[in-house]
Amino acid sequence: MEIIVCLKQVPDTEAEIRPTPDNTEINYEGIKFVMNVYDEYAVEEALQIKERVGEGTVTIVTLGPERAVESIRTALAMGADKAVHLDDPAFGGGDAYSTAKALAKAIEGMSYDIIFCGKQAIDDDLAQGGNILGEFLNLPSITGIVKFDLSEDKKKATVQRQIEGGIEVLEVSLPAVFTATKGLNEPRYPSLPGIMKAKKKELKPIKLADLGLSEEEVGKKGAQIQVLKFSLPPVRQAGTIVGGDTPEEKAENLAKLLREEAKVI
Amino acid sequence: MLPAREILWNAGDVRVVVYILAAIPILIFAYTLYERIRLWRIGGQERRLDQLGARVRSLITVALGHTRTLRYRYPGIMHLFIFWGFAILFLGTLTIFVQEDITLPIWGITFLHGDFYLFYSLILDLMGLLAIIGVLMALTRRYIWRPAMLDNKADDAITLALLLAILVTGFVVEGARLAAQQPPWGRWSPVGWVSASLFFSEATSHGVKTIHKVFWWVHLGLAFTFIGYITYSRLLHIISSALSIFFRNLNPPAALRPIEDMEEAETFGAGKLEDFTWVDLLQLDACTRCGRCQDNCPATFTEKPLNPKKVIQDLKLLFQEKGKRVIADMRVWGVKGEKASASSSQERAMIGEAILEDEIWSCTTCGACIDHCPVFIEPYPKLLEMRRYLTLMESRFPPEVQLAFRNMENNSNPWGIGASTRGDWAKELEVRTLAEDADAEFLLYVGCAGSFDDLNKRVSEAMVRILRAAGVNFGILGREEGCCGDSARRLGNEYLFQIMAQQNIEVMKGYNVKKIITLCPHGYNALKNEYPLFGGEFEVYHYTEILADLIAQGRIKFSKELNLEVAYHDSCYLGRHNHIYDPPRKILRTLPGVRLVEMERSREKGFCCGAGGGRMWMEEHLGTRINHARIEDVVKCNPQLVGTACPFCYTMLVDGIKEKELEDRYRARDIAELVREAMG
Repeated sequence: MEIIVCLKQVPDTEAEIRPTPDNTEINYEGIKFVMNVYDEYAVEEALQIKERVGEGTVTIVTLGPERAVESIRTALAMGADKAVHLDDPAFGGGDAYSTAKALAKAIEGMSYDIIFCGKQAIDDDLAQGGNILGEFLNLPSITGIVKFDLSEDKKKATVQRQIEGGIEVLEVSLPAVFTATKGLNEPRYPSLPGIMKAKKKELKPIKLADLGLSEEEVGKKGAQIQVLKFSLPPVRQAGTIVGGDTPEEKAENLAKLLREEAKVI
Repeated sequence: MLPAREILWNAGDVRVVVYILAAIPILIFAYTLYERIRLWRIGGQERRLDQLGARVRSLITVALGHTRTLRYRYPGIMHLFIFWGFAILFLGTLTIFVQEDITLPIWGITFLHGDFYLFYSLILDLMGLLAIIGVLMALTRRYIWRPAMLDNKADDAITLALLLAILVTGFVVEGARLAAQQPPWGRWSPVGWVSASLFFSEATSHGVKTIHKVFWWVHLGLAFTFIGYITYSRLLHIISSALSIFFRNLNPPAALRPIEDMEEAETFGAGKLEDFTWVDLLQLDACTRCGRCQDNCPATFTEKPLNPKKVIQDLKLLFQEKGKRVIADMRVWGVKGEKASASSSQERAMIGEAILEDEIWSCTTCGACIDHCPVFIEPYPKLLEMRRYLTLMESRFPPEVQLAFRNMENNSNPWGIGASTRGDWAKELEVRTLAEDADAEFLLYVGCAGSFDDLNKRVSEAMVRILRAAGVNFGILGREEGCCGDSARRLGNEYLFQIMAQQNIEVMKGYNVKKIITLCPHGYNALKNEYPLFGGEFEVYHYTEILADLIAQGRIKFSKELNLEVAYHDSCYLGRHNHIYDPPRKILRTLPGVRLVEMERSREKGFCCGAGGGRMWMEEHLGTRINHARIEDVVKCNPQLVGTACPFCYTMLVDGIKEKELEDRYRARDIAELVREAMG
């Protein structure tokens, strides 16, 4: 069983996100990066399938700058066997289309039965990469799965999706692309021997030249969507605590504020 | 006639027979003890031969002086009587041996005569009497009163019966001899003299001699049985407990053993007996099931599956099962202990069978089990070694623990609040960071609770205002501060702890930090006792030490009468683990209008709030709640306010008061807040 997991490194949900002064990019300085949470479900599911089947390889495919290695190592520490890292400045700044294109090109030459992605990356929330990847590879893709069952002959998969008011059960022949969401499993915490072993596992860097694509086809240049501007949501105003010594006085002051300041009564 | 005693009177010329008979139990004892020592050595390395002076002192005060045993009065006195009774009787017997087999045959010198002999007779008689009283006290306690902390096994009865029989037969022999010889100095052996007049006043001279002879042999047989029985019974503690005291941990009690060479090691923590150190295994044999650990354990008290005595006993049972196999191998094949120790499939698993995971996770690391053990056995560090195994090797822990780990990894605090907001509490107060002013004398290490928890942010704010008023030059690290790692370490995640410790040390050293004030006792313990092993040598103070000092120097002035009755709740990591009992109390006593009262369980006997050992981040599903038990102590003492100096205790006490719906009667406050309030 050859399983590929596409993994993205994203800023931690608690990280302080600020745009650069010209508002065209995000200032990533001093930010803590983690593995995208939905990709954790993807990695975990791949590992569980491999464990159930008893043989196979789980390969991580990541597109991202050098720092992404840290998240790749986390996946390897969880138990993935090897990784491919699309690490070239040309890949940067892309949209889901140009990113999926590069990923597809890298995956093309590999053998695979199942491809897992996270449902969406929690930074840009595009939720398109998995499907576009499927299109490039000419594979069926199913989004947001919460359960995955492999058929006896390992040629088909029965998966479940959470839909409004119920569960949808789907069957698909393999290979196929699946995007994972919360509920699929509980991602494991890497063991220390796992962390130590991960340091020695194969992590192959791939440059643009290795893919046979041109600079115009990937990253920012190959994107079909351009980001014009990032802006922060308006800062929430501090509330006012209505003063007064007695409840009556407080109520009076509140009524006054509502009438005179807020002009709602 | 010079007072003296004819050795082997009435026994005949049996010296050779006696020595041959003695050789048997002595050889059994020596060989089985040797086997035991080899068994202990299947454990890993641990350095416990440093500070020899302190070790010898411990042996004198704790073993001979019974300082720790006497903390429980009745059993302490009971044991003191038995111990010293038998010790002196043994020395008395040894004196005879020295005279008869060394000084007399070699130099023709005897010394057991005259005044020395009378003194000797008197002391030995009185010591025998003390030992009898001690054994009777033990029998009464164990079989009539039956306190919950004791469990009875056949071995206990056999041992006590053996001791009593040796003593009684000894006095019967002495009584019979005195009755037959009627020496004028007979009353110098008061117990023997009473025994003579009670039992032998009517007997014929021949009858007395017969009885003497029979009992002489019985006494001898019992004494030899005793020697042979030592290694097979609780009597082993005569040796193992003494060794346990000698090889006690002399490092700061709550500084955990670091895992070294994490890159190369193959296993982490203790998943099987051999993963423990030889000291751990020796301690299993040193336990006499006295029950003081269980009597003071907050988990046991609140009906959780954990009982430290049971943990030690269950490990001991496993060790004995294993020991039988290892010893059998050694006897048959003469193979080395280490080789023979290789775990076989017939062996029960240590984690999951001998010790359940719920026991391992129930510990709050309060340290009461170690502190109350008369012989320095360390139950909770063994549980932490097992946690290390579960966490690092198996990634097996309650789900909420995983969340805490993730939060510490990603945001360097167990709550998982954005690391970049760590210094936000101090923004309005305009506290300088070391980045802004690296010349501050003190680093105020706020900790996670003081930075992120609303309740404890008030404490940080109070501290800032107090330190400013007292003119202390200090700064904080703000967003550069990281979690101290205490919770990670105590939840078994040594890897995460070491990463966090190294990061903090690097930042602190980068600012050339010399002196640190911590708000949290857990941070205090980590920075003061654990960081030095990772290269972080700083002068670390808990804020209560600093405030007590500032008050004593008159640098803090009070203007407001608080008019409060305050009971101080000891944080385990401040009190028991670091012996800071007095500074917080000193502070409270100086606050105008504060009357300090003590709860029944305070200071050394302080009772945990339930949040230590990473339990702060775990659900408390089993048994009753520890903080509720502590609030019941508060109710018994009935102060108006409970003072604390630990953010975890603070949270647990506030929650406990709320959950027990006692908010109209009691409040909990941190001492720093009270100081701030009294400053007006």
